Amino acid sequence: MLSVDDQLSMALLVRNDLEMTPGKVAVQCAHAAVDCSLQARKSIPQIFEMWRNTGSRKICLLALDEEDILYWKEKCVEVGLVHSIVRDAGRTEVSAETITVLGVGPAHKTSLDDLFSNLDLYGVE
Amino acid sequence: MGFRSFLHRITAPKLSKSVENHPLKLVLVINHSLGMKKGKIAAQVGHASVQTLLSAGSVIPHIVDAWLAQGQKKVCVKAVDEQQMNELSIKAKQANLHISKTIDAGHTQIPKGSYTVLAIGPGYEAEVDEITGHLSLL
Repeated sequence: MLSVDDQLSMALLVRNDLEMTPGKVAVQCAHAAVDCSLQARKSIPQIFEMWRNTGSRKICLLALDEEDILYWKEKCVEVGLVHSIVRDAGRTEVSAETITVLGVGPAHKTSLDDLFSNLDLYGVE
Repeated sequence: MGFRSFLHRITAPKLSKSVENHPLKLVLVINHSLGMKKGKIAAQVGHASVQTLLSAGSVIPHIVDAWLAQGQKKVCVKAVDEQQMNELSIKAKQANLHISKTIDAGHTQIPKGSYTVLAIGPGYEAEVDEITGHLSLL
């Protein structure tokens, strides 16, 4: 049994200033999850496998706007976390190349918690 | 096998090098009866997509690669309940489409073991639409 410190998770930061339907948000988050998975499978295969075997935890967090997303992206670069920015193709609701979601991880839950401790959960109401 | 899928099987283009030129998509069918919130739905659809990437990746790798190269088109639609999802998955299997079911671990919001998402594809847009085209967008 893994201790809480060893738990792995993936964070999906969703921009809250765009008017996206729940389905749109879900699809954007899925893009981020797939991109991060593809990267992690190559760069941190052991972590990736462990994450897959422990329920592939994911959490959706609330980002304010594009600037906020870019800020957190820089943080991920600094800390060295696997991450992926989703830019929408703009076929539907938002215009092309709009940044919608930042995916981070899989990584240790503790390091994600440390980094994103100020962010609220997305879409729980 | 139904008459339609039999017809389909003999008339459908063989999976071949031309895959890249045909639009592919993955449809994610949400179990609307569970009343999941936006964030929960997003996470479940994320599970379903990664699960599909890995399982379809080993069964139909050329389709998955082409789908990724095309920008991994995904569409989210809703089913009224688990029964409708089961009917859709049977139809999808009959049409030889890849499917993946996501069952929730039940840590948050809904009971453990809830059937949250049915992923159909990635497959040719026209073939997937035949199964899910009548469902409304989420």
